[in-house]
Amino acid sequence: MIGIVLRGFGTALFFGIVLGVLIPGYVPKPAFIPGFALPPDFWPRVIAIAGLIFGLIAAGLGLAGQGTPVLPAEVAEDDTPKRVLLFRFGALVTAFIAFVLLTDVIGFLGAAILLTGAAIVLTGERRLLAWGAGLALILPVGLYAFFTEALGTQFPPGLLFN
Amino acid sequence: MLNELMTALQAVATVQNFLIIAAGIWGGVIIGAIPGMTGTMAVTLALPFTFYMDPVPSILLLVALYKGSTYGGSVSAILIKTPGTASAACTALDGYPLAQQGKAGKALNMALYSSVVGDFVSNISLIFLAAPLALLALKVGPPEYFMLMVFALTTVAGVSGNSLLMGFVSACLGLLLATAGEDMYGSFRFAFTDDMQAGLSVAPVLIGLFALPELIKLIVFRNPPKARMMEIGDDRVSGREFRGVAKSLFRGSFIGVVLGAIPGIGPSAAAFFSYGSAQRASPRAANFGKGEIEGVAASESANNGACGATMIPLLALGVPGDVITGVMLGAFMIQGLTPGPLLFETNIHEVYMLFIGMLLSSVLLLFAGKFTMRIFTTIARIPPTLLSPVVLLLCLFGIYAIGNSMFDVVVLLALGLVGFGMFLLDIPTAPFLIAFILGPMIEENLRRALATSRGDPTVLMSSPITWIFAALILFVIALTARREIGKANQRKADAQ
Repeated sequence: MIGIVLRGFGTALFFGIVLGVLIPGYVPKPAFIPGFALPPDFWPRVIAIAGLIFGLIAAGLGLAGQGTPVLPAEVAEDDTPKRVLLFRFGALVTAFIAFVLLTDVIGFLGAAILLTGAAIVLTGERRLLAWGAGLALILPVGLYAFFTEALGTQFPPGLLFN
Repeated sequence: MLNELMTALQAVATVQNFLIIAAGIWGGVIIGAIPGMTGTMAVTLALPFTFYMDPVPSILLLVALYKGSTYGGSVSAILIKTPGTASAACTALDGYPLAQQGKAGKALNMALYSSVVGDFVSNISLIFLAAPLALLALKVGPPEYFMLMVFALTTVAGVSGNSLLMGFVSACLGLLLATAGEDMYGSFRFAFTDDMQAGLSVAPVLIGLFALPELIKLIVFRNPPKARMMEIGDDRVSGREFRGVAKSLFRGSFIGVVLGAIPGIGPSAAAFFSYGSAQRASPRAANFGKGEIEGVAASESANNGACGATMIPLLALGVPGDVITGVMLGAFMIQGLTPGPLLFETNIHEVYMLFIGMLLSSVLLLFAGKFTMRIFTTIARIPPTLLSPVVLLLCLFGIYAIGNSMFDVVVLLALGLVGFGMFLLDIPTAPFLIAFILGPMIEENLRRALATSRGDPTVLMSSPITWIFAALILFVIALTARREIGKANQRKADAQ
């Protein structure tokens, strides 16, 4: 029940932040708006208010003991320790961030090779690791060649190869 | 007319034209099936090759690529939950669960048959109904667009899974994300960085929300219960199954034709519309989203049904129906043909050749789909621990290639994490995507309608078309409320 209530209040909080902070700060209002033209913040406000209301309703239903469970059944029944799950998730997020940052250093191709290899290792694949290594090396090179030669795409070369 | 059609048939029925159309269909299917590559990309890339071709074969090549890629998007949607095109997102809702149940072949076959039927109906409608549909398109203004889009948004109710409320929350998130970028009056909303001034593209949002969470689930949970190699399984669609979905199939085809004929709507909205309609009318409504073959039929018949119909405003009015037909408009101009009413007077022979060629492409789509199906299902047999990272790699290259922008890649990865978060919180992602695609059209047409009426909100109910859609919206709301009350009563009865 706590999860359901928190999900509801979390939703309401998110849309409340959008309504109270993001829209005033990041949706510019023109100095003059003709009476019949809707301002640019009208539609985002409508959505944020609707989302806020839905979030509060969800929280209310949670407090009343109703509402759907937060975690899907397949996740709730998984008996892997939570810290292991968090570690894997953290490793993947780190890999994504590293890919974006490394693109500027070693280029898109190099970063893509590393990310693919990391993703294969993170899936827990051990039996076909040789195949995985081959795919992580050869496939990005093949895709790079196709996109640059056939489609003329210019991928970031990175500082090292610039 | 029949004489002209026979003359055109003789002109089109050459080996060269046959090979060109076949190449277009095959190329389109393969490109559409590759995550990150789109039909727009295929048509745009093929455009320079058409400079050296005769007018009709060049247009037929582009049309074949369009149709092939629309069907091809369903292949990756079904096998790896990575819609190749936005219009295949609805197909993934039921196609992927079917594949997980070992019925990938059945889902692919149904997608193919539905695509072919939808395509054929679309071509026939183009030939015989181009004029009245073009006139209908002229009657659709901002108020009608607005009501139509709001009605299409009610599909959210059908794809919200267990919780309608969470579906609404998801839709609000999608609508909100769609407001980022430049609005119709030039204001930059939520432009936290310079890249965000152009807003978020559909492709990274679509693939990030649908495909990446599967990889993330595989990495975090290592062996989620449903992660097993896809088997073709029983790949036939029985006669009984086909008859069972026939109504949705033909309804979807005509929905695709009508919506495709209206400029700016496109196959994606037609697919959502058809999916929602099929679910409301189906005796197996509760099974939608869990592997209901009727959902695949409804979605695919509509998105391919819209393909030929998008040519109606292009040929009859000179107004492209969507981005791809916009590229085709360029191809027409390059070839010295000017789409519009005069085209039917000055180049009627070429127009009929185009019609015949499009009918031929429907037949070739069936063969191309059947042949490539075996190849694609072989790929799907690759262990998920290798296939999912490869899909990520394809998505990275494909998404970058669309806009030459690392920002799109960042959006892809970020939306993947958001999609995973939504999975953990049991918030469905389909309403998010539907709202993200329809939201800009809803807002733009609402603002246009109110601007032209000088702020008078009654303009939204000013024509018979708006009344019809308003009535349909109320009907869907009442139906949904009745269903939810029934579910709540059932839960109470089970608890007791």
